[in-house]
Amino acid sequence: MTICNGAPAEHFALGYVEGTLPEVEAERFEEHYFDCPVCLKHLQTIQTMAQSLAQQSVATIEQPRLKMPIAWPVWAWSGGAVAALLLVSIFTYKSLEPKLAQPTVAQSELKSLPQAATSSQPVRASAAAVHLSQLADLTLPVYVVPNLRGDGSDANFETGMREYAAGNCQDAIVTLRQVAEQSAEAHAAEFYSGACQMRLGDFPAATRGLRKIADSGDSPQQEAALYILAQIALAGNDPVAAHMYLERTIALRGDLEQRARQQDRQVAELIAMSNPAQGEHSESK
Amino acid sequence: MLSKAGPETAGLAVQKVRETDLLAAAIASGDREAEQRFVQQYLPRVRAMLLARTRNAEITADLQQDVMLEAICALRRGQLREAAKLSAFVLGIARNLLNSHFGNAAHQPVSLEFPDNIPDLTKATDEIAKRQEGELARCAIASLDHVDQSILHMTLVDGLKPGAIAERLHLSPDVVRQRKLRATRKVVNLVSKLSQNKSGAHLHERDAL
Repeated sequence: MTICNGAPAEHFALGYVEGTLPEVEAERFEEHYFDCPVCLKHLQTIQTMAQSLAQQSVATIEQPRLKMPIAWPVWAWSGGAVAALLLVSIFTYKSLEPKLAQPTVAQSELKSLPQAATSSQPVRASAAAVHLSQLADLTLPVYVVPNLRGDGSDANFETGMREYAAGNCQDAIVTLRQVAEQSAEAHAAEFYSGACQMRLGDFPAATRGLRKIADSGDSPQQEAALYILAQIALAGNDPVAAHMYLERTIALRGDLEQRARQQDRQVAELIAMSNPAQGEHSESK
Repeated sequence: MLSKAGPETAGLAVQKVRETDLLAAAIASGDREAEQRFVQQYLPRVRAMLLARTRNAEITADLQQDVMLEAICALRRGQLREAAKLSAFVLGIARNLLNSHFGNAAHQPVSLEFPDNIPDLTKATDEIAKRQEGELARCAIASLDHVDQSILHMTLVDGLKPGAIAERLHLSPDVVRQRKLRATRKVVNLVSKLSQNKSGAHLHERDAL
């Protein structure tokens, strides 16, 4: 018997109705709502909503790309151009900067390269390993305060995210750990904790938390969790896992699709470079 | 996922076990009213589960009858070993029948023992309440922004993923996810509020009478 404020339904009911919830979670949710009238009611409302939507033919709108509703003055355009120029120069500077955090990971993980690859193409393989780990993007995902947030968000989450935004990963992890399991932000807290652990180099812990997010079905953090898992795999010179996570990221067709696609291509190129025979073989296939 | 029980909930748990124990015992001893209570309690749960799994109202309507009949027959035979696990027992029957339905879809339908004096399953379905809930849901949906309505429609009716919806609506997938969750929460809250108001109004009407 449990006290329930409806949080499980808030978390799982939509995915359950959509059919995107993993089977284990779906079964756990079923066992819960069979004994929980609050969550049952929530689920029934979503099902009624789905039926109502199916009956009423909502004209699905194909929104045109937003056009400028007003004529912008020239100074606005010139200001925008200056800002864009500034952004481009910052980006260029950043991309030319040597990656400081990544080589430490890369060097420590170089030993994990397959022996066969190193024996056949020693120079190429070690170069590929270095490049593979250097592909890893171990920067913290940007946290944008959602303007759609409802009232009553968890205070620990807010504090934790302030620490996260300030780059205090250690403090953020401690505070985010205190976010209640039933809170609406529990999922997000787990994700950002995982990101912090990744940043601090605690890859096993980061992988554990992020995998949970990635495998728990549709959520705002799912795509980013898969992408970070791919980065961790890259940092650990594990091209197979990296490819798998990148493919899953691409499949979600979200904001990170292009980046994941590009990285996946680079991974494939590096694998082919480290083992040309295998590359030829797969091409002939 | 869920908070564990304190002393108050422990008391509630004991009470619930006692209730299910009594219910199961009453059904085993042939109490038809107990069967009706059982149907009223479990049919909505079974229906919700079957609807989510099959996404088909007709199959759900057929299977829910089978599940309830199978459960009643088993309870009449006294097959429930632990009263505390009545929910798991019913859920198990529903899962088995669902699996055999999809597994044997091409074959003959599952033949069930058809008991005498079965409880009226239609009584458990309050059509008026169901229709009212539908109306409330429609009101709540209508209060949403048009884009949110489209997102919900594409998600729940067309079965599209956020990426595909985002492409159609020229939004980012994260925005689609946020709006979907937000809109769902809004509808659920509004329906709950409206239904409370409605039942409150009914009480007032009754008091006036």
